[in-house]
Amino acid sequence: MNVDITDLTRRFGRTEAVAGVNLRTGAGVFGLLGPNGAGKTSLLRMMATALPPTSGQLRLLGRDPGAYGPRREIRRRLGYLPQNLGYYPGFTVAEFVEYFALLKDMPPGQVPRAVAAAVEHVGLGDKARAKLRTLSGGMLRRAGIAQAIVNGPELLLLDEPTAGLDPEQRVSFRALLRDLGQRATVVVSTHLVEDVGAACTEVALMDAGKIVFHGTPDELTARGEGTGAAGDAPLERGYSAVLAAARSATAARS
Amino acid sequence: MTATTDAPVRPRPSSAARAVPLTAARLLRIELRHSPMPWILPLIAALFWFDSYRPSISQPPIWVLRTFWNMGQGHTIVDFGPFVAGMAAWIGSRDGRRGTSDLVTATARPRWLAQLVTWAAAAIWAVGGYLVFVGVMFGVYAHQGLGGAPPWWWVPVGTAAVAAFSAAGFAAGVFFPSRFAAPLAAFGAFVVMMLSSQTGFTATSGWALILPTNSNGNYEAVSGVFYRYLPDLPIARVMFLAGIAVAVLGLLGLPSGAGGPGLRRAAAVVTLAGVAAAGTAIGLAGTAWRGPYGIVIPALHDAANDQPVRYTPVCGHAAGTPVCMNPAYRRYLPDVTAALRPLLAEMAGLPGAPARATQVPGTYTSSEGEANPVVTISGRPPVLRVPLDALATLPGYTGFTGAPETEALFADQLRALSVHAFVGAGNGTGAPAQQAVQAALLLRVGVPFAVQANVMDAGNGPGPPPPPTTGPVYAAARRLAALPPAARHAWLAAHLGALRSGHLTLAQLP
Repeated sequence: MNVDITDLTRRFGRTEAVAGVNLRTGAGVFGLLGPNGAGKTSLLRMMATALPPTSGQLRLLGRDPGAYGPRREIRRRLGYLPQNLGYYPGFTVAEFVEYFALLKDMPPGQVPRAVAAAVEHVGLGDKARAKLRTLSGGMLRRAGIAQAIVNGPELLLLDEPTAGLDPEQRVSFRALLRDLGQRATVVVSTHLVEDVGAACTEVALMDAGKIVFHGTPDELTARGEGTGAAGDAPLERGYSAVLAAARSATAARS
Repeated sequence: MTATTDAPVRPRPSSAARAVPLTAARLLRIELRHSPMPWILPLIAALFWFDSYRPSISQPPIWVLRTFWNMGQGHTIVDFGPFVAGMAAWIGSRDGRRGTSDLVTATARPRWLAQLVTWAAAAIWAVGGYLVFVGVMFGVYAHQGLGGAPPWWWVPVGTAAVAAFSAAGFAAGVFFPSRFAAPLAAFGAFVVMMLSSQTGFTATSGWALILPTNSNGNYEAVSGVFYRYLPDLPIARVMFLAGIAVAVLGLLGLPSGAGGPGLRRAAAVVTLAGVAAAGTAIGLAGTAWRGPYGIVIPALHDAANDQPVRYTPVCGHAAGTPVCMNPAYRRYLPDVTAALRPLLAEMAGLPGAPARATQVPGTYTSSEGEANPVVTISGRPPVLRVPLDALATLPGYTGFTGAPETEALFADQLRALSVHAFVGAGNGTGAPAQQAVQAALLLRVGVPFAVQANVMDAGNGPGPPPPPTTGPVYAAARRLAALPPAARHAWLAAHLGALRSGHLTLAQLP
């Protein structure tokens, strides 16, 4: 298992953003769905080793990120695109990607080729020398994806990767995800259920810090059939049905 | 998804150890290209020109005098420090401001090492700017043909100060990553500079000598002319400033996210080493004392630096008497010979008249670092010894006074001090008869009574100022000056011995 999470929690003061999550997954594209404030970003930040958990166990790529040595090994094999991508406006696309390739401890000799490949992969080859400050929101997002994949990660964490991408870019991005999922574990947090349907082999739905569904996209679709749940597409109806069921169960318990 | 399996470990290449410096070099290249530190350099250049260079050119064209303002008093550091600290804080706060903290935290390279690379790029620009500005200034000085030797030891002090300000500002930005970090760091650095300068006005000894803008004893006017610049205090200050820089940079490696346990232990050692270096430097400054040629720190002092600098004097003639000077003062030789010419002509043939005049170094012994401008006549044959560096004014434009005024003041003061020595008045005002003869001789060589008092008082002249130009002293002086030259010469030849021994009274003057 590349991701093995047991009873993971994360509190911010009195708010429990992640409340006892259990999750295990191997290679493939894993979709993480959920409404705003469900705890997806906090979970991804913990998986990215950017945020320490309050309690619970987390093993990534077979290692415990709580210890420095294994954490560093994980980070060498990790790609991460945060929800709010910070960037250095004066850097060019290629420099931005190269900078993070070097921070990821890639062998320097491999960096130029890896940077060129990553930039081409996200369709920014002709913008490699453009300053980040001159790029559109979608292009910036693609530059962020390029830095995430530059080291050929075994674990790729993408928080809202398709936000700001146009339909054509989203289609090619899904193809990229499927390709990456052949070799690595790709965890994609998104609001867009069609991304999940098109690219993910597994999906989990989070609400109020908990995972309320874990299965395949087809299983999620099936949960919506005959329920009359809101949604334009079958997967959306499954999403709405699972959320409604989880919330009514929570209300009944309280 | 039933069992946990360990993923295959991708082995690090065997050349990983060699790759680390290469990675750092490539990161440094990117950081150098994008560091905003160069943006501030034009502003510093303007300030540097107004505050460090421009005021200095009113000083006489001797390295030690012209660089005292900008290097000795630390104005170059004042010009750089606040701006460098502010910009370094801006750079240090980059990840906090730009929202890249998560992104960089999730990378394998220890945060501390990445931060050191970012700081290094900023420091290279700042220190490089400092060296270029000082280099250009020194180049201009060299082109102007300054006498003496440049104060090289004070360049590393400024360099270390700029590095320390960049490190302190950068650390402030890292620990307080907000947009206010930069202005607060700049203001803090400015306050530190002001406190340093303020302390320097009063603290002439002890630990406070370590402060980079404390000018007490940094230079003596004989440095780089008759003696070397003593490196004792610069070495201690470099230790102090480098220690601060190292300690502050070490602090960045202490937080848990900065790196692994080994690296954090190394950071703790670096921090302690920096603190120890700075503390040792403060302790060394506490043992400092003001020697005749600058600040001496016994533990750092090399006695070889006390040896006078060998030089071949430049000589001219005044009324047939050789006048020799240090080559650093070559351009003043015509002024000195012109000033001494009527005086030496008046003294010619009299007992004890100088057979030669020579420039000697002033003696800097007072706590204020001032030298008394005492001209002496001694030796056989008698030699007129003139400490030009101790005179209040050298000829030339001073920024406040035009060249003709300073030339006249210089000539009058040189004549007055020489006559004072000739009549044997020593370090005091002299006996009334000596005062009268002095006044008469000065009147004969073109220094009116009304000017004499001011001249003798200027620049800590020997003893209290002479009495007003009325009374029995000046009456006797008028009588002596009114004698025909031959009669005055004959009287002086007959009575100079008694005059110098203080046995002559006013009543015995003609």
